[in-house]
Amino acid sequence: MILDVADHEILTSAGVSLDEESRAGAFVMCDHAQAFLRTGSSGYELLPIADALDKYSWLREQYFFHAVASDLDDTVSRCAEEPHPLGFFLHIQKGSDISLPVQAVMYMKSDSIEQRVHNIIILEEDSRVHLITGCLAGHQSRTSTHIAIEELYIGKRAKLVSTMVHTWGADQHVYPFTGAIVEEGGRFESNYVSLRPAKLLVSNPQTWLIGRRASAKYLTVVLASPGSTMETGGVVHMDAEETAAELAHRGVCTGGVMKQGGMLIGNSSCKAHVDCAGMLLDSGDDGYIESVPGLCSRHPDARMSHEASIGKIAPEEVAYLMSKGMEEREAISMLVRGFLGTDIDGLGTALDEQISSIVEVAGHGEG
Amino acid sequence: MVNDDVVFSDATADRLEAYMHNPDGMILELIDLSVRVGTRDVLSHIGMSIPEGEVHALLGPNGSGKSSLLMTIMGFPEYVVTGGSIWFKGQDITDAEVHERVRMGLAIAQQRPPTIRGITLRTLLGYILRGDPDAAGRLSELASASQMDSLLDRDINHGLSGGEIKRSELLQLFALSPLFSLMDEPDSGVDVVALTLMGEMINRHFISDPEHPVLRKAGLIITHNGNILEQLPIDKAHVMVNGRMGCSGNPSILMHHINKFGYESCVRCRDCREE
Repeated sequence: MILDVADHEILTSAGVSLDEESRAGAFVMCDHAQAFLRTGSSGYELLPIADALDKYSWLREQYFFHAVASDLDDTVSRCAEEPHPLGFFLHIQKGSDISLPVQAVMYMKSDSIEQRVHNIIILEEDSRVHLITGCLAGHQSRTSTHIAIEELYIGKRAKLVSTMVHTWGADQHVYPFTGAIVEEGGRFESNYVSLRPAKLLVSNPQTWLIGRRASAKYLTVVLASPGSTMETGGVVHMDAEETAAELAHRGVCTGGVMKQGGMLIGNSSCKAHVDCAGMLLDSGDDGYIESVPGLCSRHPDARMSHEASIGKIAPEEVAYLMSKGMEEREAISMLVRGFLGTDIDGLGTALDEQISSIVEVAGHGEG
Repeated sequence: MVNDDVVFSDATADRLEAYMHNPDGMILELIDLSVRVGTRDVLSHIGMSIPEGEVHALLGPNGSGKSSLLMTIMGFPEYVVTGGSIWFKGQDITDAEVHERVRMGLAIAQQRPPTIRGITLRTLLGYILRGDPDAAGRLSELASASQMDSLLDRDINHGLSGGEIKRSELLQLFALSPLFSLMDEPDSGVDVVALTLMGEMINRHFISDPEHPVLRKAGLIITHNGNILEQLPIDKAHVMVNGRMGCSGNPSILMHHINKFGYESCVRCRDCREE
């Protein structure tokens, strides 16, 4: 399948870049087919997952459905039965530091489809990479479903930064299943941004910190609008000494349902914090934010904390910024942007338009 | 009449321009101004005129309405004008929004500004200086002069001491470079060294043309303890009591009287009483 000009425009509006100047490599899946693949610099391998499974027997034996259980639920089981899975395999070799981000795209162009993908990312010892994944729907794709299984294996002292930008339509269902395993001294940083919500999104990534001083940091930035239900969680199992985790949720609700969760499980000496912050701009008829950060400790040296807050844009903050010369809309935009903290490396200004659309809603009745 | 052959400095030319638009020479006039916050009347029948190039002080006991007056002049929506009017450079700005007043040349350094998480002081200054071709240089110069270099990347007012908040507010006000400056107690809660620093900063700010230090920008400064009067030439002082305007006159005489007899004497004063 070939991407046309309209497709490229949609991809660009969601922050996707495929060019060699800004991305080390790129993989695009459109509906049920691979639409683009470019690999460039040495030190890593980027392949369709089916090709990788054929090429490397160890991949199936040691990694395929090891970080996400194949019998986790009916949806995952259905994916596990797929004889030729779709998705990509990214393998960063030992000691490689990939200077530019790698881009992956899961694009649903057609209507009424169920796109099922399975991605595996392996970072060997002392390697580094920034993976930017855009998951999005085109204008014709109205009632589709996106199911994504993502397994991440981060080796000793390796570092994976994963930035995922979701852009959905109002009648779509989205079910990501992520499992990450981090070895000694490894680090996993996840930035998840979804400012064009789906009808239903349920995401609860699981991370196991299995090596000493392994760490994970999640920043989840989500908008819920009327008619949408956005459930984002995250579970981090701290199974080794001196592990650390930080979960931060930032959600803006303009109607619809937003559920923020996050569970830290201290099975060893560790330090961790989970923070859920919601900004309720307009609850509409039946919208709400529910924030439930959780802690579970099984070790006396586990130091963990949580906090949750929900509020609106403070009128005195808007007025304060206006006293610096900003119009009301500019002030609200800066406050929403500051609250969401979307200053994420690699996204550039692609999210500006999406934030502006939030501000359109926020601008009414504030001041 | 302006002679085209005479070349003026930019600052002097600006002042002449301002005079031509405002022949009365009053940059700020408050006429019979009454204000309400929520259900409470906080200001009652205030009158005040400040000529171009003059810096006035506003004195008064706690709760007398000084801060409310500055916030009203700036146009903060919580302060609802129930009577009277506010004139700036010959224009009625009573109904103008806050940002419109800023763009006309008003700016304020607040006493208790809000803390704003997620926005750094550097970001805000970047916005204020966005039209300056040498924004980075100017930001650096201002931050250095106000000793705020190390605090530029903090969220606005987050975790700052009282003195740091005052310097931050003044830094932003200087960056806005207003025609008329409103300053709410820049001298309270700061030590002698900091007070001297701020006095120097404020003095520099009001001098619009270094070659003519007598020509100054205008402003209104609240001082509760009067300390700033020792650091800064003030043209006139006004006393507020119970939301009303009391005596106005020579700053030294007024301050001397207040130091000797306290603000209680102002409360008892014929000119400050509601009658």
